[in-house]
Amino acid sequence: MATVINDTEHVEVEATIGEHWLLEPEAFESLTGWTLKPEGMCREDVCAPILRKDAVFPEAGLIDLVEAAPVIGMTAVVDTARGVAAMTASAAVRGASMTTLQAPAFTLPDMHGNPVSLHDFDRRKVLLLAWSSW
Amino acid sequence: MQEELGPYGLTIIAVAIDSDLAAVQEWAAHAPGLTILIDRDYTVAEQYGIVNVPATVWIDEDGRIVRPADTAMGDDRFRAFAHVDSSVHHAQLRSWVIDGERLLDDSTVAELMEQPSPELQQARLHRRIAVELHDRGDVDGAREHLASAAGLAPNDWVIRRGSMPMNDVDPFGEQFFAFVGEWMQAGSPGYRLATGREYPGDTPQQA
Repeated sequence: MATVINDTEHVEVEATIGEHWLLEPEAFESLTGWTLKPEGMCREDVCAPILRKDAVFPEAGLIDLVEAAPVIGMTAVVDTARGVAAMTASAAVRGASMTTLQAPAFTLPDMHGNPVSLHDFDRRKVLLLAWSSW
Repeated sequence: MQEELGPYGLTIIAVAIDSDLAAVQEWAAHAPGLTILIDRDYTVAEQYGIVNVPATVWIDEDGRIVRPADTAMGDDRFRAFAHVDSSVHHAQLRSWVIDGERLLDDSTVAELMEQPSPELQQARLHRRIAVELHDRGDVDGAREHLASAAGLAPNDWVIRRGSMPMNDVDPFGEQFFAFVGEWMQAGSPGYRLATGREYPGDTPQQA
Protein backbone atom coordinates (compact mmCIF):
# COMPACT_ATOMS: atom_id res chain seq x y z
CA MET A 1 0.00 0.00 0.00
CA ALA A 2 1.05 3.57 -0.63
CA THR A 3 -0.22 6.92 0.65
CA VAL A 4 -1.66 9.76 -1.39
CA ILE A 5 -2.29 13.08 0.36
CA ASN A 6 -4.99 15.13 -1.30
CA ASP A 7 -6.69 18.33 -0.14
CA THR A 8 -8.92 16.59 2.37
CA GLU A 9 -7.31 13.35 3.50
CA HIS A 10 -4.45 10.90 3.48
CA VAL A 11 -5.60 7.95 1.37
CA GLU A 12 -4.11 4.45 1.29
CA VAL A 13 -4.02 3.21 -2.31
CA GLU A 14 -2.92 0.11 -4.20
CA ALA A 15 -0.19 1.36 -6.51
CA THR A 16 2.48 -0.17 -8.71
CA ILE A 17 5.55 1.84 -7.92
CA GLY A 18 8.80 1.58 -9.79
CA GLU A 19 10.20 4.36 -11.90
CA HIS A 20 6.64 5.72 -12.15
CA TRP A 21 3.73 5.81 -9.75
CA LEU A 22 1.07 3.71 -11.50
CA LEU A 23 -2.56 3.16 -10.59
CA GLU A 24 -5.30 0.86 -11.89
CA PRO A 25 -8.11 2.95 -13.41
CA GLU A 26 -10.42 1.93 -10.51
CA ALA A 27 -7.90 3.18 -7.94
CA PHE A 28 -7.45 6.41 -9.89
CA GLU A 29 -11.21 6.88 -9.94
CA SER A 30 -11.71 6.32 -6.22
CA LEU A 31 -8.84 8.70 -5.53
CA THR A 32 -9.86 11.53 -7.85
CA GLY A 33 -13.49 10.99 -8.86
CA TRP A 34 -12.47 10.86 -12.53
CA THR A 35 -13.34 7.78 -14.64
CA LEU A 36 -11.27 6.54 -17.55
CA LYS A 37 -13.46 6.22 -20.66
CA PRO A 38 -12.67 5.90 -24.38
CA GLU A 39 -13.16 9.69 -24.77
CA GLY A 40 -10.76 10.55 -21.93
CA MET A 41 -11.02 11.21 -18.21
CA CYS A 42 -14.63 11.90 -17.29
CA ARG A 43 -16.49 13.25 -14.30
CA GLU A 44 -20.23 13.90 -14.37
CA ASP A 45 -20.83 15.24 -17.88
CA VAL A 46 -17.32 16.56 -18.47
CA CYS A 47 -14.62 14.62 -20.31
CA ALA A 48 -11.02 15.75 -20.66
CA PRO A 49 -9.18 14.24 -23.63
CA ILE A 50 -5.89 12.48 -22.96
CA LEU A 51 -3.44 14.00 -25.42
CA ARG A 52 -0.20 12.39 -24.26
CA LYS A 53 -1.32 8.77 -24.17
CA ASP A 54 2.21 7.34 -24.16
CA ALA A 55 3.05 9.30 -21.01
CA VAL A 56 -0.24 8.75 -19.19
CA PHE A 57 -0.22 4.99 -19.93
CA PRO A 58 3.45 3.90 -19.79
CA GLU A 59 2.23 0.34 -19.19
CA ALA A 60 -0.92 -1.18 -20.63
CA GLY A 61 -3.91 -0.63 -18.37
CA LEU A 62 -2.09 1.45 -15.75
CA ILE A 63 -2.28 5.22 -15.22
CA ASP A 64 0.77 7.34 -14.37
CA LEU A 65 -0.39 9.60 -11.53
CA VAL A 66 2.01 12.46 -12.28
CA GLU A 67 1.18 12.50 -16.00
CA ALA A 68 -2.57 12.04 -15.52
CA ALA A 69 -2.97 14.78 -12.90
CA PRO A 70 -2.73 17.68 -15.41
CA VAL A 71 -5.44 16.04 -17.53
CA ILE A 72 -7.90 16.58 -14.66
CA GLY A 73 -6.62 20.03 -13.67
CA MET A 74 -4.39 18.83 -10.87
CA THR A 75 -0.70 18.53 -10.11
CA ALA A 76 1.02 15.67 -8.29
CA VAL A 77 4.37 15.11 -6.63
CA VAL A 78 5.47 11.55 -5.88
CA ASP A 79 8.19 10.02 -3.76
CA THR A 80 8.44 6.61 -5.36
CA ALA A 81 11.14 5.41 -2.96
CA ARG A 82 9.03 6.09 0.12
CA GLY A 83 5.57 5.43 -1.34
CA VAL A 84 4.11 8.85 -0.56
CA ALA A 85 2.44 11.16 -3.08
CA ALA A 86 0.54 14.42 -2.80
CA MET A 87 -1.85 16.11 -5.17
CA THR A 88 -3.75 19.38 -5.38
CA ALA A 89 -5.22 21.79 -7.91
CA SER A 90 -2.94 22.88 -10.74
CA ALA A 91 -1.77 26.48 -10.64
CA ALA A 92 -4.10 27.36 -13.52
CA VAL A 93 -7.15 25.78 -11.89
CA ARG A 94 -6.44 27.32 -8.48
CA GLY A 95 -5.80 30.71 -10.07
CA ALA A 96 -9.08 30.55 -11.98
CA SER A 97 -10.99 29.49 -8.86
CA MET A 98 -9.49 32.39 -6.90
CA THR A 99 -10.70 34.98 -9.39
CA THR A 100 -14.31 33.76 -8.97
CA LEU A 101 -14.04 35.15 -5.38
CA GLN A 102 -16.06 32.16 -4.15
CA ALA A 103 -14.60 31.18 -0.77
CA PRO A 104 -13.29 27.60 -1.10
CA ALA A 105 -14.96 25.12 1.23
CA PHE A 106 -12.79 23.46 3.85
CA THR A 107 -13.17 21.13 6.81
CA LEU A 108 -10.47 21.01 9.45
CA PRO A 109 -10.21 19.56 12.96
CA ASP A 110 -10.56 21.83 15.97
CA MET A 111 -8.47 21.51 19.14
CA HIS A 112 -10.55 18.50 20.23
CA GLY A 113 -10.25 16.76 16.88
CA ASN A 114 -13.84 17.56 15.84
CA PRO A 115 -14.30 18.52 12.18
CA VAL A 116 -15.41 22.11 11.56
CA SER A 117 -16.40 23.41 8.12
CA LEU A 118 -16.63 26.86 6.65
CA HIS A 119 -20.23 25.89 5.79
CA ASP A 120 -21.05 25.64 9.50
CA PHE A 121 -21.00 29.45 9.45
CA ASP A 122 -23.20 30.00 6.38
CA ARG A 123 -25.08 33.31 6.45
CA ARG A 124 -22.54 34.89 8.77
CA LYS A 125 -19.59 37.10 7.97
CA VAL A 126 -16.33 35.24 8.54
CA LEU A 127 -12.93 36.59 9.36
CA LEU A 128 -10.52 33.84 8.44
CA LEU A 129 -7.43 34.44 10.51
CA ALA A 130 -4.40 32.42 9.46
CA TRP A 131 -1.79 32.21 12.18
CA SER A 132 0.90 29.86 13.40
CA SER A 133 3.07 29.07 16.40
CA TRP A 134 6.25 29.60 14.37
CA MET B 1 -12.96 41.16 18.42
CA GLN B 2 -15.14 38.03 18.46
CA GLU B 3 -16.96 39.24 21.59
CA GLU B 4 -17.42 42.74 20.22
CA LEU B 5 -18.45 41.87 16.66
CA GLY B 6 -20.10 38.46 17.16
CA PRO B 7 -23.49 40.06 17.88
CA TYR B 8 -23.21 41.88 14.52
CA GLY B 9 -22.87 38.56 12.69
CA LEU B 10 -19.12 38.01 12.58
CA THR B 11 -17.42 34.70 13.28
CA ILE B 12 -13.66 34.58 13.59
CA ILE B 13 -12.15 31.30 12.45
CA ALA B 14 -8.52 31.08 13.51
CA VAL B 15 -6.76 28.56 11.28
CA ALA B 16 -3.36 27.46 12.52
CA ILE B 17 -1.14 26.95 9.47
CA ASP B 18 0.99 24.65 11.51
CA SER B 19 2.07 21.02 11.72
CA ASP B 20 2.93 21.12 15.41
CA LEU B 21 -0.23 20.23 17.31
CA ALA B 22 1.35 20.65 20.76
CA ALA B 23 2.59 24.16 19.93
CA VAL B 24 -0.83 25.14 18.59
CA GLN B 25 -2.56 23.85 21.71
CA GLU B 26 -0.25 25.91 23.87
CA TRP B 27 -1.13 29.10 21.95
CA ALA B 28 -4.81 28.18 21.77
CA ALA B 29 -5.00 28.06 25.56
CA HIS B 30 -4.58 31.84 25.50
CA ALA B 31 -7.71 32.34 23.40
CA PRO B 32 -10.55 30.40 25.02
CA GLY B 33 -13.85 30.63 23.17
CA LEU B 34 -12.27 31.29 19.78
CA THR B 35 -12.87 28.76 16.98
CA ILE B 36 -9.38 27.40 16.36
CA LEU B 37 -8.73 24.89 13.59
CA ILE B 38 -5.49 23.18 12.69
CA ASP B 39 -4.30 22.94 9.09
CA ARG B 40 -1.31 20.60 9.18
CA ASP B 41 -1.16 20.20 5.39
CA TYR B 42 -1.55 23.94 4.72
CA THR B 43 -4.62 23.29 2.56
CA VAL B 44 -6.29 26.58 3.50
CA ALA B 45 -3.05 28.39 2.66
CA GLU B 46 -3.20 26.77 -0.78
CA GLN B 47 -6.90 27.48 -1.34
CA TYR B 48 -6.78 31.11 -0.23
CA GLY B 49 -3.29 32.06 -1.44
CA ILE B 50 -1.86 32.68 2.02
CA VAL B 51 1.89 33.19 1.74
CA ASN B 52 2.59 34.55 5.21
CA VAL B 53 1.05 34.69 8.67
CA PRO B 54 -0.67 36.30 10.37
CA ALA B 55 -3.05 37.00 7.53
CA THR B 56 -6.78 37.55 7.27
CA VAL B 57 -9.39 36.89 4.61
CA TRP B 58 -12.85 38.45 4.82
CA ILE B 59 -15.76 36.28 3.65
CA ASP B 60 -19.28 37.71 3.41
CA GLU B 61 -22.67 36.11 4.19
CA ASP B 62 -22.88 34.74 0.65
CA GLY B 63 -19.56 32.94 0.92
CA ARG B 64 -17.72 35.43 -1.25
CA ILE B 65 -14.27 36.80 -0.55
CA VAL B 66 -14.42 40.56 -0.07
CA ARG B 67 -10.85 41.06 1.13
CA PRO B 68 -8.12 38.69 -0.02
CA ALA B 69 -5.37 37.21 2.10
CA ASP B 70 -3.04 39.84 3.38
CA THR B 71 -0.84 40.43 6.34
CA ALA B 72 -2.99 41.75 9.14
CA MET B 73 -1.83 42.00 12.68
CA GLY B 74 -4.10 41.26 15.60
CA ASP B 75 -1.92 43.45 17.76
CA ASP B 76 1.25 45.50 17.42
CA ARG B 77 3.90 42.98 18.45
CA PHE B 78 5.39 42.85 14.98
CA ARG B 79 4.67 46.43 14.03
CA ALA B 80 8.27 47.60 14.01
CA PHE B 81 9.09 44.85 11.57
CA ALA B 82 6.01 44.71 9.37
CA HIS B 83 4.99 48.38 9.36
CA VAL B 84 1.39 47.29 9.82
CA ASP B 85 -0.78 49.10 12.32
CA SER B 86 -3.40 46.75 13.79
CA SER B 87 -5.78 49.60 14.63
CA VAL B 88 -6.24 50.35 10.92
CA HIS B 89 -7.28 46.77 10.28
CA HIS B 90 -9.59 46.75 13.31
CA ALA B 91 -11.31 49.96 12.21
CA GLN B 92 -11.81 48.59 8.68
CA LEU B 93 -13.21 45.36 10.10
CA ARG B 94 -15.71 47.19 12.33
CA SER B 95 -16.94 49.30 9.47
CA TRP B 96 -17.43 46.23 7.28
CA VAL B 97 -19.20 44.16 9.95
CA ILE B 98 -21.33 46.89 11.51
CA ASP B 99 -22.00 49.22 8.58
CA GLY B 100 -21.50 46.84 5.66
CA GLU B 101 -18.84 49.10 4.21
CA ARG B 102 -16.55 47.30 1.82
CA LEU B 103 -13.06 48.53 1.27
CA LEU B 104 -12.57 46.92 -2.14
CA ASP B 105 -14.80 46.18 -5.08
CA ASP B 106 -14.87 42.70 -6.64
CA SER B 107 -12.47 43.49 -9.46
CA THR B 108 -9.88 44.88 -7.03
CA VAL B 109 -10.23 41.80 -4.80
CA ALA B 110 -9.70 39.54 -7.82
CA GLU B 111 -6.69 41.58 -8.87
CA LEU B 112 -5.14 41.38 -5.40
CA MET B 113 -5.46 37.59 -5.17
CA GLU B 114 -2.02 35.99 -5.18
CA GLN B 115 -2.14 33.64 -8.18
CA PRO B 116 -0.02 30.57 -7.54
CA SER B 117 2.75 29.52 -9.90
CA PRO B 118 3.18 25.86 -10.92
CA GLU B 119 6.37 25.86 -8.82
CA LEU B 120 4.52 27.08 -5.72
CA GLN B 121 1.89 24.34 -6.10
CA GLN B 122 4.67 21.75 -6.36
CA ALA B 123 6.42 23.25 -3.34
CA ARG B 124 3.21 22.94 -1.33
CA LEU B 125 2.98 19.26 -2.26
CA HIS B 126 6.59 18.59 -1.27
CA ARG B 127 5.77 20.16 2.07
CA ARG B 128 2.76 17.88 2.57
CA ILE B 129 4.93 14.86 1.85
CA ALA B 130 7.51 16.18 4.32
CA VAL B 131 4.90 16.37 7.10
CA GLU B 132 3.79 12.80 6.44
CA LEU B 133 7.39 11.53 6.45
CA HIS B 134 8.19 13.50 9.60
CA ASP B 135 5.17 11.91 11.30
CA ARG B 136 6.57 8.51 10.35
CA GLY B 137 9.91 9.40 11.93
CA ASP B 138 11.67 9.69 8.57
CA VAL B 139 13.52 12.91 9.36
CA ASP B 140 15.91 12.66 6.39
CA GLY B 141 13.04 12.11 4.00
CA ALA B 142 11.20 15.10 5.43
CA ARG B 143 14.29 17.31 5.06
CA GLU B 144 14.74 16.24 1.45
CA HIS B 145 11.21 17.34 0.59
CA LEU B 146 11.48 20.57 2.58
CA ALA B 147 14.63 21.39 0.62
CA SER B 148 12.79 20.76 -2.65
CA ALA B 149 9.92 22.97 -1.45
CA ALA B 150 12.29 25.79 -0.49
CA GLY B 151 14.00 25.58 -3.89
CA LEU B 152 10.67 25.83 -5.71
CA ALA B 153 9.18 28.63 -3.57
CA PRO B 154 12.13 30.64 -2.22
CA ASN B 155 10.02 33.68 -1.25
CA ASP B 156 7.01 32.03 0.34
CA TRP B 157 7.07 32.60 4.10
CA VAL B 158 4.62 29.81 4.83
CA ILE B 159 6.92 27.38 3.02
CA ARG B 160 10.26 28.80 4.15
CA ARG B 161 9.71 29.98 7.69
CA GLY B 162 6.91 27.51 8.34
CA SER B 163 9.31 24.65 7.67
CA MET B 164 11.95 25.81 10.13
CA PRO B 165 10.58 24.09 13.26
CA MET B 166 10.39 20.75 11.41
CA ASN B 167 13.99 21.26 10.30
CA ASP B 168 15.05 22.05 13.88
CA VAL B 169 15.83 25.60 12.81
CA ASP B 170 14.98 28.54 15.09
CA PRO B 171 12.25 30.55 13.29
CA PHE B 172 13.76 33.70 14.82
CA GLY B 173 17.38 32.64 14.33
CA GLU B 174 20.20 33.24 11.89
CA GLN B 175 18.65 31.25 9.04
CA PHE B 176 15.43 33.19 9.40
CA PHE B 177 17.22 36.52 8.99
CA ALA B 178 19.17 35.13 6.04
CA PHE B 179 15.83 34.23 4.45
CA VAL B 180 14.43 37.72 5.16
CA GLY B 181 17.47 39.20 3.41
CA GLU B 182 16.88 37.03 0.32
CA TRP B 183 13.20 37.85 0.34
CA MET B 184 13.81 41.61 0.57
CA GLN B 185 16.31 41.40 -2.28
CA ALA B 186 13.58 39.76 -4.32
CA GLY B 187 11.41 42.85 -3.73
CA SER B 188 9.44 41.60 -0.71
CA PRO B 189 6.84 39.70 -2.75
CA GLY B 190 3.44 38.96 -1.24
CA TYR B 191 3.62 41.58 1.49
CA ARG B 192 1.46 44.37 0.12
CA LEU B 193 1.10 46.60 3.14
CA ALA B 194 4.79 46.56 3.93
CA THR B 195 5.80 47.29 0.37
CA GLY B 196 3.50 50.22 -0.24
CA ARG B 197 1.05 48.22 -2.35
CA GLU B 198 -1.51 49.22 0.22
CA TYR B 199 -5.25 49.13 -0.04
CA PRO B 200 -7.22 52.29 -0.50
CA GLY B 201 -7.96 53.56 2.99
CA ASP B 202 -4.94 51.92 4.57
CA THR B 203 -2.25 54.12 5.99
CA PRO B 204 0.84 52.00 6.61
CA GLN B 205 2.85 53.60 9.35
CA GLN B 206 6.53 53.57 9.99
CA ALA B 207 7.17 52.46 13.53
